[in-house]
Amino acid sequence: MCLSGIQDLFTVFTFLLRPRWLRPIRGDNISLTEHLMYCVQEERPVHDRTLLQARESDHHIPWRVKFNLGNSSRQITQCRNSIQGKALLTDELGYVCERKDLLVNGCCNVNSPSSRQYICKSCLPNGCCSVYEYCVSCCLQPDKQPLLERFLNRAAEGFQNLFTAVEDHFELCLAKCRTSSQSVQHENTYRNPQAKYCYGESPPELLPI
Amino acid sequence: MGYELNQTAGTMAPVCLFLFVALLVGRLPLAGSEEEEKTSSSSSSTSSSTTEGFLSSNCSQLSLKVDFSSKVVEHEYIVAFNGYFTSKARSHFISSALRSAEVANWRIVQRENPASDYPSDFEVVQIRQNARNSLLTLQDHPYIKRVTPQRKVFRTLKLLSVGGETSSSCNDTRWVQKWQSWQSSRPLRRTSLSLSSGFWHATGRHSSRRLLRAIPRHVAQILQADVLWQMGHTGSGVKVAVFDTGLSEKHPHFKNVKERTNWTNEKTLDDGLGHGTFVAGVIASMRECQGFAPDSELHIFRVFTNNQVSYTSWFLDAFNYAILKKIDVLNLSIGGPDFMDHPFVDKVWELTANRVIMVSAIGNDGPLYGTLNNPADQMDVIGVGGIDFEDNIARFSSRGMTTWELPGGYGRVKPDIVTYGSGVRGSGMKEGCRSLSGTSVASPVVAGAVTLLASTVLNRELVNPASMKQALIASARRLPGVNMFEQGHGKLDLLRAYQILNSYRPQASLSPSYIDLTECPYMWPYCSQPIYYGGMPTIVNVTILNGMGVTGRIVDKPIWQPYLPQNGDHIDVAVSYSPVLWPWAGYLGVSISVAKKAASWEGIAQGHVMLTVASPAENDSSVGEMTSTVKLPVKVKIIPTPPRSKRVLWDQYHNLRYPPGYFPRDNLRMKNDPLDWNGDHIHTNFRDMYQHLRSMGYFVEVLGSPITCFDASQYGTLLMVDSEEEYFPEEITKLRRDIDNGLSLIIFSDWYNTSVMRKVKFYDENTRQWWMPDTGGANIPALNDLISVWGMAFSDGLYEGDFTMADHDMYYASGCSIARFPEDGVVIAQTLKDQGLEVLKQETAVVDSVPVLGLYQTPSEGGGRIALYGDSNCIDDSHRQKDCFWLLDALLQYTSYGVTPPSLLHSQNKVTPPTGTDKPLPERLEGNHLYRYSKVLEAHLGDPKPRPLPACPHLSWAKPQPLNETAPSNLWKHQKLLSVDMDKVELPNVRAYRPQVRPLSPGESGAWDIPGGIMPGRYNQDVGQTIPVFAFLGAMVVLSFFVVQLTKSRSKPKRRKPRIKRPLYLQQQQQQQQQMTLHTGKTPTV
Repeated sequence: MCLSGIQDLFTVFTFLLRPRWLRPIRGDNISLTEHLMYCVQEERPVHDRTLLQARESDHHIPWRVKFNLGNSSRQITQCRNSIQGKALLTDELGYVCERKDLLVNGCCNVNSPSSRQYICKSCLPNGCCSVYEYCVSCCLQPDKQPLLERFLNRAAEGFQNLFTAVEDHFELCLAKCRTSSQSVQHENTYRNPQAKYCYGESPPELLPI
Repeated sequence: MGYELNQTAGTMAPVCLFLFVALLVGRLPLAGSEEEEKTSSSSSSTSSSTTEGFLSSNCSQLSLKVDFSSKVVEHEYIVAFNGYFTSKARSHFISSALRSAEVANWRIVQRENPASDYPSDFEVVQIRQNARNSLLTLQDHPYIKRVTPQRKVFRTLKLLSVGGETSSSCNDTRWVQKWQSWQSSRPLRRTSLSLSSGFWHATGRHSSRRLLRAIPRHVAQILQADVLWQMGHTGSGVKVAVFDTGLSEKHPHFKNVKERTNWTNEKTLDDGLGHGTFVAGVIASMRECQGFAPDSELHIFRVFTNNQVSYTSWFLDAFNYAILKKIDVLNLSIGGPDFMDHPFVDKVWELTANRVIMVSAIGNDGPLYGTLNNPADQMDVIGVGGIDFEDNIARFSSRGMTTWELPGGYGRVKPDIVTYGSGVRGSGMKEGCRSLSGTSVASPVVAGAVTLLASTVLNRELVNPASMKQALIASARRLPGVNMFEQGHGKLDLLRAYQILNSYRPQASLSPSYIDLTECPYMWPYCSQPIYYGGMPTIVNVTILNGMGVTGRIVDKPIWQPYLPQNGDHIDVAVSYSPVLWPWAGYLGVSISVAKKAASWEGIAQGHVMLTVASPAENDSSVGEMTSTVKLPVKVKIIPTPPRSKRVLWDQYHNLRYPPGYFPRDNLRMKNDPLDWNGDHIHTNFRDMYQHLRSMGYFVEVLGSPITCFDASQYGTLLMVDSEEEYFPEEITKLRRDIDNGLSLIIFSDWYNTSVMRKVKFYDENTRQWWMPDTGGANIPALNDLISVWGMAFSDGLYEGDFTMADHDMYYASGCSIARFPEDGVVIAQTLKDQGLEVLKQETAVVDSVPVLGLYQTPSEGGGRIALYGDSNCIDDSHRQKDCFWLLDALLQYTSYGVTPPSLLHSQNKVTPPTGTDKPLPERLEGNHLYRYSKVLEAHLGDPKPRPLPACPHLSWAKPQPLNETAPSNLWKHQKLLSVDMDKVELPNVRAYRPQVRPLSPGESGAWDIPGGIMPGRYNQDVGQTIPVFAFLGAMVVLSFFVVQLTKSRSKPKRRKPRIKRPLYLQQQQQQQQQMTLHTGKTPTV
């Protein structure tokens, strides 16, 4: 990405060849070095970024996620939930409900008509959704386990910190659905501002700015 | 000196801290007295500051040199006290202190001046014998702040001629930079916010007088964190994350580093820069330079490389990890201008929504206004500004307002609070301590305080990003004479925040908590201009903080209740607000306008806006919803509508800025700040101009909507400065008609040259793409469309240089020239350098007779006047070299009253107006992306086309619900948080360290004489449970109350009132410290 165009290459050469006296004052000088250093070092991160698709599964991160058995009848007295939502919440059983339908124990009230379990509303076939809570719920579907295991086995080194710390299916889905370095283009723009929460293996579809 | 001393002390046992401080403090006057024994010339020190700024007209360079030199006066010392005392009390303190040192030969130097009748906070003492001992003893007295040698200061002002440069070369040597395309993306990028190396250890360097003030200050102790430590609160159980440059593994200052993670492309966890170590130290260092919360659980996130490179994507991944780890407090001593980096801003919201308390530095771009950094400018983040130890706002600290809301709205009040950020000591990279300045430093002071505060709360459920912010701002101490866009709610007060937080009940509150448009200077700029009928509505952007839950909503609608006895019916109020308050906060926009019936009325009108916030109950028994009702008092000054000629309308609608687009700096010399990002508003980077116009009696209003949306018959002059936006065809037609009907127009333009625009493209490392400007400094092709009907046009020339106009020195910083002007107009030309040639080919060429200023009276009956000037830099606060407010005055005289300034009319630089038919007018840069950011253009096959003209904003005034009541006289003092009455909140229980109460015993040696009245009864709360003790205490409280009142009225100037408690704390601190040397029971190992 760094040395993608001839123009960039030319710039780097200009940096190297410019006589010392032409160098700008200190502030700029630092950033030139940065640029160069970045270019030198970027080889690896670039690979990291595409690791999710590219690298074969020879590298296993030591994940320890315990998956749900898909047995929603298991007894649970307290639920963790997705905490952050503006209007919606997803509990660890995969129910999505409105905040007003959240019980004192943190679980969604399953009797409320608007509560739905394992709902993939707003999610695209590539595993990216426009609503975070639906992404988490969809990700909690028991049949997503192979997909998630495949992802964990091939997860990029850049994500190792995160996904080795995840302990179970719910935490994995909470973390996986968040926007991350995979979600952006040009750093400050979403690849797809509509469907940016992804439980799947691929990053959001790249839309033109 | 202090720094070196401290380094040698780095290995000292922690419990010796007090001794060490005492030694340090003691050493300074000693140094003075040792010098004293040498010749006086060797003890004088000289420092000078040279101001480059005088450029005489023939261009030989002069500079003003201010020299200080000071000499120690033999045997004389300045004794500074903690408060203001009468001369009798002062003499009493000194004599009791010196008695114990058995010094006989001393006297107080009488100061024969009118001030000597009043209480003072210092005394000059002459000690001729055993000076060293007496100084140490004096220093130990609880009411004596410091003792310093008396110095005589000599000041000289010199005008120096610099070097032997000839006048011809000076223009070239003034700027020794060379041109190339800009590569630096530093200003776009988030940077860590400490000041560059030049500022490190900077305090005390400027003059010898400041040296003693540079005594290393332990910021945690100054903020009285030790009171909370004594109570057993040290931050334990609170997870605090530091997002910075990392931390080395075995740093001796930290005892509880839970985890270090690296999110950069450098394969290390260690800090190679020192920034992250310092920040972590301020929060959690346990020895030497102590932090606030030594027992907190530290999570170090390395997100900056040693070269200070960082990317949004690194932050996103690191933030996700912080959420997973359930971090409680997160410090971001970083910031950048790009508040439109949606992935980043969304992620910060996500963090606070997950109950992470975000504390961030407001930025180091002060004293310019409109320089707030993201994420500190967000409503859900605690944005921290910097002050020095004398409670002045630090020069570097960024100033408000937020610019997200422009052009239609008005910015929010930020920073939220301020605290020490100048010359603060913190951990050195490997060991020891260093001082650092910057809002980078102020931010961890607050983050550390927040961590410590969180650990004091029993029910942690109550601590959330909103409640913590509410507690901090409700307890903050307002600094006198500073407006809210500089200090926010004031200076952090840790102990008061502790009190509030520990009696907190979930509720909503407002920031600011009242609107008093008459209160100066706090409510600047509102207080600087009264409102009147027919003016643009005044907008106040209030932030609603909701401590009840991460989401909330406003029930029904806010209601406006004017106070009938206080003329509340003379104003109309409209409100707009966030449909959902998330995360923890939302906005309440209050627009105020004068009712028609008050068109010629003058006076004060008051009322309040009342609103109820509801949140779903959290973890509570099934209540359903919690609600909280808050009132926003409103007070405004109304005057009769001023005459048309006095009213100036500032066009905000056509000013565009970064972010999102690349709108280049108006002064091309300023290469390290290539972007125009301060909002171009009269209250941000055109603040000085606004103040000037106000002082000249003009009333300045802001047009935040298209030109079609104002009544031109109300205004004398429309002022368009540095406009980047395009114009709707309807706007062009309307302006033409308005000017025919008597409106005048002043345009301050700027450069636009497509070759230069191509040249100033740069590679932005943050977004990893090339950035090409979408306009020049101004959008000249668009402006030319607007003014072509009068036969006027600007050129694409790019000029720079110094000149004199009407006896004023002027600097033309990257401006354009006038290409066409009607032949009956007045045009002034100057000799300037062709900067375009310099940028493009690095060649220097001087161009004679460049038309820079044009004045024109339109021919129609009663038609308006038009004035054009080619450069806006001289009225813009950012990077201004020389102001030209005189020119603006002259132009306004011309446009408002038709008076042509004779100095311009009869100028020798008057030239024939250019017809400009020989050269084509500038075209828009091919392939520019202005349409992406424009409110006027939209993408189209081929060239972008104007959108349909939007409807003018329409305010729906709230239906008043009048009340027959009056407002309290002081709105500021009104309750800031419900259920927290500051007077009733228990003070920290510091029983174990209660100062000894000793009777006044003048004969007793070694006892400090403590005026009995200041001993508060309430510190004795825990003495016993029995009724007689209570009765006794009650009597004592009543008694001491009266004595306090008495001493207050007798010995203290009124403005010092809020400080009355300080001597107590200081005294406790000292006693605590003394005891710490003996037993280290509950205290953190320090």
